[in-house]
Order: sequence, then C-alpha cells, then structure tokens
Amino acid sequence: MIKKLVIANRGEVVSRIIRACKKLGVATVAVYSEADRNALFTRQADEAVPIGPANPMKSYLNIEAIIQAAQQCGADAVHPGYGFLAENYAFAQAVIDKGMTWVGPAPEVMKAVESKCYCRHIAEKVRVPVNPGTLDPIQNVEEVYRFAEEVGYPVFLKLDKGGGGKGIEKVNADAEVQPVFERISRIGLAAFGSGDCYIEKMLVNPRHLEVQFLGDNFGNYVCLGERECSIQRRHQKIIEESPSPVVTPRDREMIFDYSLRLARAMNYQGAGTIEGLRSQAGDYYFMEINARLQVEHPVTELLTGVDIVKTQLQIASGEKLALKQDQVSVKGHAIEARVYAEDPVSFQPSPGTIKRLVLPGEKETLRIDHALEEGGVVPPYYDPLLAKVITWAPSRTEAIAALVEALEGFHIEGLATTISLNLSILKNKHFSEGKYHTGFIEDLLEKNG
Amino acid sequence: MEVRINAHMPGLVARVVVAEGEMVKAGQEVAVINCMKTEMSVVSHVAGVVKEILVKEWDEMQVDAPMVILEAEEG
Repeated sequence: MIKKLVIANRGEVVSRIIRACKKLGVATVAVYSEADRNALFTRQADEAVPIGPANPMKSYLNIEAIIQAAQQCGADAVHPGYGFLAENYAFAQAVIDKGMTWVGPAPEVMKAVESKCYCRHIAEKVRVPVNPGTLDPIQNVEEVYRFAEEVGYPVFLKLDKGGGGKGIEKVNADAEVQPVFERISRIGLAAFGSGDCYIEKMLVNPRHLEVQFLGDNFGNYVCLGERECSIQRRHQKIIEESPSPVVTPRDREMIFDYSLRLARAMNYQGAGTIEGLRSQAGDYYFMEINARLQVEHPVTELLTGVDIVKTQLQIASGEKLALKQDQVSVKGHAIEARVYAEDPVSFQPSPGTIKRLVLPGEKETLRIDHALEEGGVVPPYYDPLLAKVITWAPSRTEAIAALVEALEGFHIEGLATTISLNLSILKNKHFSEGKYHTGFIEDLLEKNG
Repeated sequence: MEVRINAHMPGLVARVVVAEGEMVKAGQEVAVINCMKTEMSVVSHVAGVVKEILVKEWDEMQVDAPMVILEAEEG
C-alpha cells in the first residue's frame, strides 16, 4: 500500500481524499499556493508544503514545483484530484519517472484518450454508437458543408483535444463555418496545443448520462451505475443524480456493456467515467471518457456504498479489485447539488471571506463535501465550487425532499451562493417529474426573468 | 486629464486588449479579468488615448487596482 500521498489539488477534493487515506492509514501531504496559505484543507493534511504564488500556472499547474514538494517530503504517490493536472499525462509520467505511484490510469492511456477522435475510433471498433459526425479531424471547411447538407444545421465543431466546456462551437449555416473553424483552431492551438477539430451532429435537448466504472491492473472491471448530469449551465454541472429517471433496466444493461467494452479496449486502469448523450428518441451515444475522479463521484458512493477514492488508492497500490459486478447493489436514489460561489441570477462570480457558516447536520444519508470554515477565504483565482450536498433515500421523491431540507439548512454569509438556484430547480414541477434535459436551466431562467 | 481604469473584480489578468497610444471610446473593453474561471470585461468609462498599461497576463488583481492609464479626451 501507498505510505505517503501528495494531493496535487486544493479545496474540497483534498479533504475528500484525506478521508479515504485515513481509512487506509496513508499519510497525506497537501500542497498549497500563497492564496491558500491558511486554508482548512492544508490543516487537515498531515503535512502541507507551499508550491508557489496564487497564479495557478505557477502553483497548482506547476509540475516541477509539485514534484519537488513530493520528493522533499518523501512521498511515494500522487493523487491529482480533478481539474488542474488530473488529466495531464506529462505530470503522470513525471511522477512515475521519479519512482512514485500515480493514482490514475497509465500516462499512455491518458495521452491516447485525450483525443476524442481516437476514442470515437475505439468506439467504432468495439461497436459502441457515437454521435454522427467525423471520426477524424477535418482538413477543410468543405467537409462541414457536405456533412451539413446530409444531416442539416446546426452542427458542432469540436476540438479533438478540448475540455472543460472549451472548444465546442455551434455552427448554424454555411456562412458561419469558415470563421468558426478558424477561431476554434486558434483557441485549440493556444489552450490545448492542437487546433484539430471534428464534426458532430447537434442533438436537440439531449440528456447527459455517464457511467462510473473501476478497473484494476488485472483486467477486472465493474460498473457502479450511471449518473444523470443534464442539469447544467455552460457545461457546468449543477445537479446530478443516480439512477437516471429515464434509463430503463434494459438500457442500463446496454450502456454498462458499452462502457466496459470501451474501458477494456482502452486498457484503462483506476476510476473512470464514460460520458454519453441520450437523444429524445432514446438512442444512446458515447461522447468521451473522463480519465480521473469526477466531482460528482459522491452520488455513486452514496448509492452503492463503494468508496471510489479508497478503491483508486488500492488499485494504484497494485491490489486486485475485490468487488464483483453482482456485488454492486444499487438501491434507492442518490442526488447531489453543487453549491457555487456565484450570484444565483447573474452567475457573476463571488469570491470573498466566509463570515458565517451553518451546515446541516450530516448523517448516513446526508453527506456534505466541502473545505469551508468561518473566516475562510474563497479566493478569486480558482473554481467557484464551494460544496456538494448529497442525499440518499429509498425513492427519488424522498431523496429530492431530503436535499431540499438540507439546502434550506445550509447558510453561507459573506459571499453569494447558488443555493437558491439549486432550490428552485429541485422544487420545479418538471424536474420532480424527471422531465428535463441539458437546456433546462436556460428555460428556467428565461421563464423567471 | 489622466484617468485610471481600475479592476472592478478581483482575479487574474486574462489579457489586455488595447495597446499604448491606442484611441479608446467610452464603453470600450480595455482588459479582461479571469475571476473564478469566468472572464469579466474591464471597460473604460471615458474616451481617450492609452497612455500606460500597468498590468500583464496572469497578474493578480485586487478590486480597485489600476490597470490602464488613459489621457482622457478634452470636453
């Protein structure tokens, strides 16, 4: 087993990983930027090492500084959390080159799956449907004209190596193709080092579904169920739940089978997520794989009782996956609300200092993942996620009611939060009926505005 | 008259979109601040010529910190 783990991240995910380490007797090291000097997560870890200024390029994205910190404190493993360097294969390779354990898939797997076109090819090979479009990056705009002539506008131009909601552009007509193609290629080259892009058909009001799986180094895989993440705004997820209200048992079996076929074909190890879309007609399409722990993993943990982070550490330590598919029990319903430091109407970011903090009392069926405290600073330099509130209940209706109750007892003063937006979604009639899609928030805001 | 364009939000400078010597209209964007991964436009409230640029990409910004100095148009 790993002895001393560096957590190359900040905020709530550091607290989350520390909890798993405590169960396994693994010592923890937090790294922090100057902006996080007094942050709670740095005190929760056994050790804390400064890695640079507030600017994430010089701290949380600084491979050299983190590797140096890890070596300085004698750590033997690195967990990247999510965001920052989590999907950076050069970082994974640097960790391995220094003789440490990387908690995640092998760098060569990370490098391959970064290309969405590579993933689309794999999907075709193992007969998993992908959204109609090109399998390879396009060479010229003529290809877009031809595709649109066949399936009609609008279509998406997507960067082969985009991510985080960046590098997806909608094209509505022939006249828009050339400028969008040029712009997206330029963005790709600057942000991701590649301007390659491909075409995808735009689905009307699809639902965003993903499947969580685990794989070890011995070819064993298990699926831990799907998560529905259609409640999002500008590709930022807000509410996630499992099971999805629209996935039938038969479809579930099918998408689990798709997911494991893909994971095997990619030779993937550790925790991963297959992201896909469900069209209004009920067809499923594979979209991409997230080669890391996901923000919304607690939904699956509360539903199945499986500690995903603990299992990641065990797999990285070379242990066999003890869990078999028929041992995965999915009972009841789990739902999560993400609380962001943003104005709930204008979505303007709201950094600041937490003056007062009231948290609902945690119990077995209510979990709050956060790293907040009174007097704590929420810096303007990083992601606005403040906390995740997750509830479990025997039925979806009860789980939603429990989440409403929890959010109504959650008060943060000193900065604006999206708690009131979460509540208006959860109390919405269409949401409670399970009738929603990825355009839900825009529709809701339009009606209220 | 010299006019300072200050940051209205804290964060990191994403980019400066004007150059020294450039004419700026009232209401024109002069810089962009990245606050919690959201890009916020910094706009000049007056017309004038850019006299000095005080910040560069990735600089940490506090609210009210000066970013650009304009020589405001007379009248």
